[in-house]
Amino acid sequence: MKFRAVMVDPGPMRELTHIVNTISKLSKECVLRLSDDKIYFIVSEDNSGPTPPVLWCEISQSNFFSEYQMIGIDEDHKDIYLGIVSASLAKSLVTLKTAKMLKIKLTKKQCPCLTLDIEMPSSISQQTRQVSHDIPVVVVPRKLWGEFNEPKIPQPDISIELPPLKQLRNTIDRMKTMSSDIIISASAEGRLTLQIKTDTAKVSTRFRGLNVESFEGPIDHSDSETESQTCEDISKICSCRIDAKKFSMFLNAEQISHNRTLCHIIHKRLVVLQLHTKENVDFQCFIMGIVY
Amino acid sequence: MKCHVPGPNVKVLARTVHALARFGDDLYLESLSDCILLRTLNASESAYAMVKLNKNFFSHFNHNYYCVDVEGLKCKISMKSALNAFKSPAHMDKQVENLEIKLDPHSSKLIFQLNCKHGIVKTHYVSILDCKAMQAVYTKDLVPNRITSSQRLLSEALGNFQCSDDQVTLEVTSESLIIKNFGDTPTDISRIIRSQVTIKPFEFSSYTIGTDTNITFTLKEFRALLGFAEGLNLPVQLHFEITGKPAVFVVHNGTTIEAHFVLATSKPDIGTQYTSQHTTNSERKRKENSNDNNISAKKVHLDEDLSNQFQEDSNLFNYIPNNMSQNNVRENINNVEKANSIDTNCDNIPASPTSRMRIASVFKRCFESTFDPRIIHGVVLAENSDSD
Repeated sequence: MKFRAVMVDPGPMRELTHIVNTISKLSKECVLRLSDDKIYFIVSEDNSGPTPPVLWCEISQSNFFSEYQMIGIDEDHKDIYLGIVSASLAKSLVTLKTAKMLKIKLTKKQCPCLTLDIEMPSSISQQTRQVSHDIPVVVVPRKLWGEFNEPKIPQPDISIELPPLKQLRNTIDRMKTMSSDIIISASAEGRLTLQIKTDTAKVSTRFRGLNVESFEGPIDHSDSETESQTCEDISKICSCRIDAKKFSMFLNAEQISHNRTLCHIIHKRLVVLQLHTKENVDFQCFIMGIVY
Repeated sequence: MKCHVPGPNVKVLARTVHALARFGDDLYLESLSDCILLRTLNASESAYAMVKLNKNFFSHFNHNYYCVDVEGLKCKISMKSALNAFKSPAHMDKQVENLEIKLDPHSSKLIFQLNCKHGIVKTHYVSILDCKAMQAVYTKDLVPNRITSSQRLLSEALGNFQCSDDQVTLEVTSESLIIKNFGDTPTDISRIIRSQVTIKPFEFSSYTIGTDTNITFTLKEFRALLGFAEGLNLPVQLHFEITGKPAVFVVHNGTTIEAHFVLATSKPDIGTQYTSQHTTNSERKRKENSNDNNISAKKVHLDEDLSNQFQEDSNLFNYIPNNMSQNNVRENINNVEKANSIDTNCDNIPASPTSRMRIASVFKRCFESTFDPRIIHGVVLAENSDSD
């Protein structure tokens, strides 16, 4: 198993720092999957079973690295799966924002390590300062690879564009102090509603005029308690109750410079929040619906 | 003693006290005829700090205010009470117009009187715990290795280390300086991130290395002293010899203030050092709380432990001829700091290179080349000078 990659562009470096930072806030540990053309960050819950992972992030290597070499175990198992403490990675990459060059290597030093060699510019001259970090990793054995397969999710009932994440985050952070779960609903007319209900209050925030990418209606509301709004076709509204904290955690991704964010809802079952960047990073969060 | 500190210098003094507070729990103040010395020592007696405030730091300085012909006024106060007088150093210069410090040899209180804006006067009467001073003996001028660096460079370098790291090793050669958080001995590396920063000599303002060496010291105190240098925007001078000899960090502006920070150094082996140091720290703290006479308590405790250890594993202490071990100890004393005498205790504890891991982790510090004989006979790092 071999892996070596070099990064020189400041843009992608900054983006990688933001991505890793966001991941470290989502979870203590993550799995780094290296393949020929892509790098994946995968966070899955311990007892995941058939549920999708919490996070699935794909980075195409050619946009990030100027050099990229890797060799897997054998022909049939070309990829490398590494378990890593996400906070360690995030802390080691803190200085990357000002770095000139980053080399990532898989090394064996008493235990498998991901070695980061960072070249920092010196404050007084053209020469550079060398910083290196050895982050211990766990090589995920082949028999466990299945747990980190690409998530297979059913066709979403609706895919709607999200409003600016900063706005959304402000709203969610206030809502989450009042209630532990949020009902998120989207209509085919491009309206996103965030709603919480407590014993004393019902708060909802609506965002209008959002792009609807796809809609697979009509939605069956026969078993639900959804209150019919006036003069609106209820079959065009798709909703899901999710954990407010998890939603808020995804919104940390706000710091990643993105050009498109989407929210896919499978009625009453699953919310997928997806973020795209111009470097072709695909960052997806899966939040299971709560059913009472 | 009575002195006035002008507004801008109050901030400096506040920063000084805050830096010292990150070293030790007690503050020793000594007034001499031309300066005031502030000193502190950390709980494990591995770090010492001394800040000298020259006469011209003050707008008014009268050493013989209460009585004439006092050799040196000394007092020991608790760091917490000193910190209380200097809350929020960043804003102090805006609120405080001047500070008056009064020390009466016949009183039991040290007085800090802060004259603030709008005629507000805040007076802190700080209880004096003791009339002793404490002094460490170290050399900083006759050492082969000297480095002067801007505090920014070192702060930037330390930015690469984790908050959980507690020691760093400096590996110096004439070509480069390497700061790293791990030693050569194998430790459990599956949990820590091993980081290493290489800095070329040209980045330092001056760089003289007479002997290639590596020294390991605690990061907590290092960060504290860098914070101090950063607050005053002054460069840091590092004077050190070889592994085991103390490293002296000097921060001064040439005229009003001069600070020496002395850190004990050890061999770079992090894992075991870590646990042992922490246990001793907490043990000491407990003892200090429970017993004023902690010196004797410490001694008794340590002896007990040692005798238990003898019973458990008598092979641990290899026989080494008496004169040799005495030489070892003596060398340490001469070089590190002075101690009263060598009593028989330390002769029984020679350096034991073949110690087992478990025992080594408990009594690691006894077997270091930095082995500090004073811990055994309970003498403080610095000799108590005469209180009368």
